[in-house]
Amino acid sequence: MTLLDGLWLASALTALAAGLFGRSPSAGPWLTALYGVQFLLVAFMGPLAYGADPVPASPAFSVLGYGLSWQFTALSWFFAVITAGAALAAAWFMSGAWGRHYAEQGGDLRLLQLALALNPSTMYVLLASRDFLSLFVGWELVSWASFVLMLAAGGVGVRWALRYLVYAIGGAMAVMAAMVLSHALTGSFEFGALAAVVPDLSAGTLWSLVILLSGGFGVKMGLLPFHLWQAGAYAETPGPGSAFLGAISSRMGLYAMLLTLFGVLGLGTLKALSIPWTPLEAHELLAWIAAFTIVLPTFTALKQNDARWLLAWHGIGQGGYMLMGVAMGDALASAGGLMHVFNHATYQAALFMAVTAVVYRTGTADLNKLGGLVTRMPLTFLVLLVGIIGLAGLPPMNGFVSKWLIYRALIDDGQPLLFVAAVVGTLGTIVSVYKLLHNIFLGQLRVEHESVREVPGSMLAPMLALSLIVFVTGLAPGLVLDWLTTVQRELGLAVLAPTLGGVERPDGGLDMLWVVGILFAGFGVGALIFLAGGRARTVHQLDNYAGGHFLTAEVRYHYSDNFYAGLMHRIGPWYRGSFQWLQDSVVAATDLLAQAAAGVYRVVQPAAWLLGVTVLALWWVAA
Amino acid sequence: MMALIVELVLMPAVAFVVGLAMLLMMRKIAAKIQRRVGPPFFQPLYDVVKFFGKQTQISHGLIHDVGIIVAVGGYIAAETLIPVPGMTGIADRTDVITLIYFLMVPSLGMALAAGQCANPNASIGISRALTAMLAYDIPFVIVIFGMSWMYGTTNLVQMVEYQQAHGWGLFQAPLLAFAGLFALQGMLGKQPFEIYVAPAEIATGPMVEMGGKYLGSLIVMQSFSLYTAGILYTTLFLGGGVTWIDFLVKAFLVVAIPMTIAFQFPRYRAEQMLGSLWKWPVLAGLLGLAVVMWS
Amino acid sequence: MKELPVRTEGAFAKRTNPLAHVFDEFVRFCRSHSLFMLHYCTGCGAIELPPAMTSRFDMERLGIQPMVTPRQADILLVTGYVSVKTLKRIILTYEQMPAPKYVIGICSCTVNGGMYWQSYATAKVLADYLPVDLYIAGCMPRPEAVVSGMRKLMGLIKTGKAESWKDYYRRYDHYLGNQQALFGERWQTPTDVLGEAQQYGLHGPETEGEHTALLQQVQQPLIPHRMRLK
Repeated sequence: MTLLDGLWLASALTALAAGLFGRSPSAGPWLTALYGVQFLLVAFMGPLAYGADPVPASPAFSVLGYGLSWQFTALSWFFAVITAGAALAAAWFMSGAWGRHYAEQGGDLRLLQLALALNPSTMYVLLASRDFLSLFVGWELVSWASFVLMLAAGGVGVRWALRYLVYAIGGAMAVMAAMVLSHALTGSFEFGALAAVVPDLSAGTLWSLVILLSGGFGVKMGLLPFHLWQAGAYAETPGPGSAFLGAISSRMGLYAMLLTLFGVLGLGTLKALSIPWTPLEAHELLAWIAAFTIVLPTFTALKQNDARWLLAWHGIGQGGYMLMGVAMGDALASAGGLMHVFNHATYQAALFMAVTAVVYRTGTADLNKLGGLVTRMPLTFLVLLVGIIGLAGLPPMNGFVSKWLIYRALIDDGQPLLFVAAVVGTLGTIVSVYKLLHNIFLGQLRVEHESVREVPGSMLAPMLALSLIVFVTGLAPGLVLDWLTTVQRELGLAVLAPTLGGVERPDGGLDMLWVVGILFAGFGVGALIFLAGGRARTVHQLDNYAGGHFLTAEVRYHYSDNFYAGLMHRIGPWYRGSFQWLQDSVVAATDLLAQAAAGVYRVVQPAAWLLGVTVLALWWVAA
Repeated sequence: MMALIVELVLMPAVAFVVGLAMLLMMRKIAAKIQRRVGPPFFQPLYDVVKFFGKQTQISHGLIHDVGIIVAVGGYIAAETLIPVPGMTGIADRTDVITLIYFLMVPSLGMALAAGQCANPNASIGISRALTAMLAYDIPFVIVIFGMSWMYGTTNLVQMVEYQQAHGWGLFQAPLLAFAGLFALQGMLGKQPFEIYVAPAEIATGPMVEMGGKYLGSLIVMQSFSLYTAGILYTTLFLGGGVTWIDFLVKAFLVVAIPMTIAFQFPRYRAEQMLGSLWKWPVLAGLLGLAVVMWS
Repeated sequence: MKELPVRTEGAFAKRTNPLAHVFDEFVRFCRSHSLFMLHYCTGCGAIELPPAMTSRFDMERLGIQPMVTPRQADILLVTGYVSVKTLKRIILTYEQMPAPKYVIGICSCTVNGGMYWQSYATAKVLADYLPVDLYIAGCMPRPEAVVSGMRKLMGLIKTGKAESWKDYYRRYDHYLGNQQALFGERWQTPTDVLGEAQQYGLHGPETEGEHTALLQQVQQPLIPHRMRLK
């Protein structure tokens, strides 16, 4: 029995236990322990990230003469360790008070636990796939598992889950078409067989493969224009579920793209594939799609008034950085894109948990109904602060490092417009996440929130642990970048030579150890300067400047709604909802066609149609 | 190592003194334009000492204090990332991209402190300040990209070396230099891009509840920001400095230009600010970029 | 005009270190040369301030600047008659300013009610309600008078004589009594003057009395929201 078998077994056991005992809130700690076992098993496979041989799975099937086999490589391990970590954190978060609260509120805790447990287990299957057939099996399993998790919320969540389902089926069709195409070309579902014939393929065939694969897997990633399902589906999932989904679920799309587009077709193929009559190549097309995926969802996030929706939209936008980095494909950019998967998982899970903690205490995630909670939930504030610094990509958190690698690579490659798009995305994120932080934690504390308390330890511990990771991997990004060199080698990309603090190069490198050290030294000096002033007396929030007006608790003295009024005055008319319109028109067209078909079939002489079809069928059989 | 530590101490110290002088220069320029005498030579020092010498003052809680510390400390740290004559600090270990994101940390600190004040004027001020950031950073990153591409490096030390060998960036990429100067106007938050302070309508915005050492720290921060803007532009376009004298002359000149323009103008509304900063400097920047990349 | 009820006692914490004395001198010097004004423009006197600040007289050469909120200001300029309603706001504004803070009454109306002497709605003597450091009399005083008054205040600050803000803490009961007489028994501000007096060691024998006792009865204390983990 290999470690991978052990991991599968442990995750299946977790799902089984969740299904059997998940209803009881007291099962939470035990389930968390099982997730801990999964994480340990993944951790034991750690040598993979430093160049050890792949870990195979013992089970291997043969279906219709096509073999299915599974194994973990460095790439699988990198995604698996994030999955296991996110699942552990999410399970830990709901193991105590939150789970009890959820059950008391009438939520189906067993369903949620089971759905959560199913997700990592199916992902481990997907991550181990090494041929098209196992990839497709894993892909479908993952899609259905996340569908179940989205369903767990009930209510409005069901609508979004169903919308996800439609998109996922569409994506799966595209993937299947790519498989069929590949089979037609090679007669097998092996990656190796396709890779061998790639050099001989015509540009048209290659384009079909690229479009089908990136489109099919891009649906899961929420790439434009297939992003409309994601924000709602992730935001409306119950707290820990959305933390898990937001952290890693949609990155499975990136994994599958890496595996097929980069692992099988190869970056070189993409670079040689130019778009007629344009200076663009296929990988630049992907980068441009990524650029739009960065900018548009980020600015949609800016308009959200619900904290969960805001984060979910940012999740889509951040996916763009990952694809952009990988698509550019050089050592810096691909390391940045891959590292962003890790970074995003850590801070996004922490952010969703912090928002869930606020919802747990106040009952709302509406950014216009909160405020001033920093005095009541200081540790949650800290988590959210660390998280948004990571999300916005500012030093000293890890999000900065991955984005820096991408920016630096774009300068190297001479891609000014992509660079500007990446930076505009970051600026939009900064603007948007400050609103998130401000509207929840800063400003005036509402009277009804005066008795709010900090969330209990079972919820705090995973959030704080994630924040610590966000900071530590920002301080010493070399820890993660080391793994990525192995992944880059596996994918045949240029390999980065990282140092513990980042990248050393004469024409502008990055040493986060120094950056963070200097930053905190600066804070120390700043504190000394600050303390040189006299003592200050802490006052109540109503002892405040209001032009001489006497403030009372009844009057809200707080600014939250339409937070960026001036900005919206300028860019508000630019929001056209084109993608929503596109989706609606596709839906309407499908609806119309279906109605027409039904109308023709049912209303106009059904018996005659039936007869005609039967005759045709008989004729076809006879012929 | 010892030399490095001395540099790390000296660079912020010089920045502080020069920054206060720039603050004085700003007020003197305003006075001259308005045909006044203006403040005495040590006025910025008096202001800072007075604010730190306040005997009673109020805080709105821990984040109010921490935010101010981050705002001042972030700038102190940032000063060691920009090379000055004879000193490079840690400029060799980082680059200009790190610097522009590093400079957002003090702004974040100020935003935290202002938010904690529980005053809507402060929140409006921050929302406008962030809007301004979105406005001026887009032309500014185009400039950063263009200059990095032209010099073939993002390392500020190498940029200075390149210019001292091949001539100033100003002459090689005048359009980018113009865009950078325009963005600088927004970055310094001077008229016409002063909407986030707007004393008459939102009561100085983020500073509304800042008194005593809080406002004193913000004055210190402002002096650092003037200095940083001046020497960053000097480093990018004016060839840095061989000696401190020519370096400081350039830095003061760079800061003097936006100041002189500022006091001729009223305030733009937020959307007007976005409009002008997204139009002229971005156009000039993109044009300059095209020239730099295809010549 | 009666003598202003300003009591300057010796520094409450005597410094023994001679260098500390030099340091105090230095800080006082800086204070006197950096005065940020908050003008509470209640009446006609305000019209004389713009010329005092702009190019003709240019107060900035003395280090005097207008400021917007009480937190940032050192001087509270009350420029004209003070109606009862306005006085409430003036007191709130004064209490929100960080000390050392100075009150300047401009125009005759702040001295004794001026032409509003017979008005039922006007508070006559500002010094009854707030510790006034300096009056600049006149109806209205010209910018020269304003500037000369400012120079007088600078001199007072430099020599350490402009300490009336301490008087407000030391004799809070007296000021509060006058305020209550005007505004009624339920008068209160969000600021906690008694708590501040305790914290800064400015609690004197006349800080508390019958009026503060009344205040404590009616006051709904505003306890600041402290950060708490539980």
